[in-house]
Amino acid sequence: MKTSILQKLSRRRVSPLAVAIASLLAGLPILSIAGTVGVVCSTGPNFNLETKAGDIQLPDGNTMYMWGYSLQGQTFQHPGPVLCVNEGDTVNITLTNSLAEPASIMFPGQDNVMNVGFSGTTEVIVPVQPQFTSGRAISLTNTATANGGTVQYRFVAGKPGTYLYESGTNPQKQVRMGLFGTLVVRPSAGSDQLYISANSKFTTSINTSPASNWNEEFLVLLSEIDPYQHWAIEANPLAAFNFNNYKPRYWLINGRGLPDSIADNNATFLPAQPYGSLARIHPLDATKHPYPGAIRYLNVGSEDYPFHPHGNNGAVVGRDGRPLETASGRDSSFEKFVVPVGPGQTWDVLFSWHDAENYSPANPVDINIPQIANQFFGMFYNFSPYLGLQGQQPPNWSTLNTCGEYYIISHNHALYQLTSWGVNMTGPGTYTRVDPPLPNNCVL
Amino acid sequence: MSSKTPKNPSRRSFIKLVSGSMAIAAGAGLLPSALRRQLSPINDAMALPTDPANLFYVGTDGWISLPQTPTIPTFHPDVLAPTPFSTYIFGFRNMTGLSPMDTGGVNMNPLVIGQKMKAQHNAPLFWVNEWETEADTFRLDLLNIGLQMRPDLTDSHSIHWHGFRNVIPFFDGEPTGSFAVPVGRVFRYIFKPRDPGTYMFHCHVEDTEHVHMGMTGLVFVNPKQNGQSIGGFTKFAYNDGDGSTGYNRQFAMFLSEVWAEAHWADAHIQLPEWSDYKVDFALLNGRVYPDTLQPNSPFNLASSAHAYDTKRDSTGDLVPTTGQEHLQYQPLSALVTCNAGERVLLRFANLGFKETSMTLAGIKMKVVGKDATPMRGFGGGYNSARTGTDTSYETNTLSFGAGESIDAIFTAPAYISEAAGYNTYVLYNRAYNRSDNQSGGAGSQRTEIRVYPGTTISAQTIPNENPTAA
Repeated sequence: MKTSILQKLSRRRVSPLAVAIASLLAGLPILSIAGTVGVVCSTGPNFNLETKAGDIQLPDGNTMYMWGYSLQGQTFQHPGPVLCVNEGDTVNITLTNSLAEPASIMFPGQDNVMNVGFSGTTEVIVPVQPQFTSGRAISLTNTATANGGTVQYRFVAGKPGTYLYESGTNPQKQVRMGLFGTLVVRPSAGSDQLYISANSKFTTSINTSPASNWNEEFLVLLSEIDPYQHWAIEANPLAAFNFNNYKPRYWLINGRGLPDSIADNNATFLPAQPYGSLARIHPLDATKHPYPGAIRYLNVGSEDYPFHPHGNNGAVVGRDGRPLETASGRDSSFEKFVVPVGPGQTWDVLFSWHDAENYSPANPVDINIPQIANQFFGMFYNFSPYLGLQGQQPPNWSTLNTCGEYYIISHNHALYQLTSWGVNMTGPGTYTRVDPPLPNNCVL
Repeated sequence: MSSKTPKNPSRRSFIKLVSGSMAIAAGAGLLPSALRRQLSPINDAMALPTDPANLFYVGTDGWISLPQTPTIPTFHPDVLAPTPFSTYIFGFRNMTGLSPMDTGGVNMNPLVIGQKMKAQHNAPLFWVNEWETEADTFRLDLLNIGLQMRPDLTDSHSIHWHGFRNVIPFFDGEPTGSFAVPVGRVFRYIFKPRDPGTYMFHCHVEDTEHVHMGMTGLVFVNPKQNGQSIGGFTKFAYNDGDGSTGYNRQFAMFLSEVWAEAHWADAHIQLPEWSDYKVDFALLNGRVYPDTLQPNSPFNLASSAHAYDTKRDSTGDLVPTTGQEHLQYQPLSALVTCNAGERVLLRFANLGFKETSMTLAGIKMKVVGKDATPMRGFGGGYNSARTGTDTSYETNTLSFGAGESIDAIFTAPAYISEAAGYNTYVLYNRAYNRSDNQSGGAGSQRTEIRVYPGTTISAQTIPNENPTAA
């Protein structure tokens, strides 16, 4: 097994230290800039995508060869761009394929996806179809040919919700190489809702007062990597990798592993991994912050991902782009402290956090607070029970806490997946950062 | 520590802090009182509030017994295991009623610290009443007494109540966002649970390892509706208003897993590669079939108001059931006995890493709750009471993954006369590789529901109790 220095450092007792080192290397202070967390949309409804190859960085110090969808003219990115469209839009997606084998895009959950061809300049529109060679399926949908071919898809985004898009061509190879992304369909009823029902409203700067609440719409896209597959394909793109030997060693959230996962969107030190997953929110409050946040969960891997946000039960209001309502429109949502996202599923979840006890120095916790010598503390701790306060820190300690905010972890609870080929406490994990209620002293 | 006046101690005090206990003791008397507290960590840690704890748990290491054959070469049974055990664990013990300190308040209580290498799995089951007034506030003290087999591991421990809503990080036990409890220290967790249902708890320090090594257990919250008479019941899973979640008996069914190599590695100062994870033994209430059918270890009724308090001997060690000495540190049975016609609540929680599929052959179970939430839609919008659409359903098979809980109620069928005096229904993991240890070395999530006629079995005094036939 390859062992990086960081890996050796973190192989054991020092893994929190290693995480701290990795965090410092990662230049975490950037994460305090508002507007750089949450869903970053590429807006349509017309998109020109391109398949590309490139490399990503992993928490153990390894890099990994990947394939990906990028917006045409842009550099390689992983995962593919978040495509945001509105309910009712006619969506046109053209794929240009630079790979040495045919590639395609499927849109699971969309009805009547069409393949747009041309006869001269006249459009010829037919339903997408599986592709066969000698009677054997080679693709679940129409392809762009190798080395520069194109294909165009068209559909009407009929139902609001969260969807995958992914390669339908040799998918056990191409999807695992990274040909996937997120499609968001926003309801006509309002861009601050997950679905048509007003009960699915989430916090944005347009629906709260004061307006300095920011958008609380987040993405949790879960995936995994078998490095041997990627090395084989890197050495020879047409290599015959035996997928019976498929064994993931890395598990990622939005294409990154903890601690990179909590760095900003578009962090400069992760040039090919633009999407962070820190969820930055304010406490739920009847007047200052009346709506919850929204998380769009997707699993593009082949394993189950039981994702556990601490401190809240997510209200699951939709799955696979359909709201959880009865035929008569009555709410049939349910709550989960573990969101078990199966391969290919999407789950739409509303969540919030508030201090149920309203603890403060005036309403203190009913214990003797142990002094710092009696605590084994973490790099995000505010050294106080109370939101918005920072307590006494040990000498020579560099905290990553900026204004007494809370960091409440969320992570995959199949805990062998919360590792990166031997480096513990990495992989699909992130935090809900709870800032003190507005107005506060936190840097935006 | 003061939360009002953040300030850094001087470099001089820092040097003193790290320069050893002799220097600290010598210098402490000369220092201002606030600083003196900081330089006397043990005494500060032991200065508990005067309110008694509802529970006092210690975290340490220990040994449990899994089937000795078939063996798993190198890893199982562990050659270091004392007879009659097989497998090294980390775990908790319930030492409620004892003080962390001896009577002089200077040294640690030898009865407590003597429990090193005597941890149990799963962790002691406990339960709490839904919080209504300050009188319902629940206090759980955790003392870390270290790992006897691995003195090189100065691991801290914590209690993470998995699923507790709107908790502050201070009481959440997740050490990167707050802190954990170092060796030799006590911390008091305060819980005011407002949401009835089935939860789990575990140490969150290096949690891949500490969870897998066995610092895991089940906790549930009784609804305030308990004690009222609704629909013929006085005990309920949730505040249902109509008795639909009422039950006569209840059983915690806690699922966990053992990958023998990882447990062996911790005992032998080695490291497992977690991406190689597999399930060698699948445990139900800390045991594998047929041990799941063996009785509970004896308990103290008087001190079991909030936890299954296994009896302790004069040294503080656990008392096993006679003839079941190998289950000394696996005190909780998974056997379910009940009378025909009774409603039985099964509280499932899974802190293994894999999907499970618990099947009850021959009896339908009604799923009334998941993840400590009743099966009801919102009555109003987001965050309103769950008084809307009934989403409960009946099934034979409960499929749920890591970290999930399910509350399921079954009605015991009519008794049909047979020689045993009871009818047997099997509850097992339908993923057969985790419910068969007779043919492969895998473990065994399998137990039995035994239905007796009439009123043969007297009422439970505490959860998971199987009272002797009347």
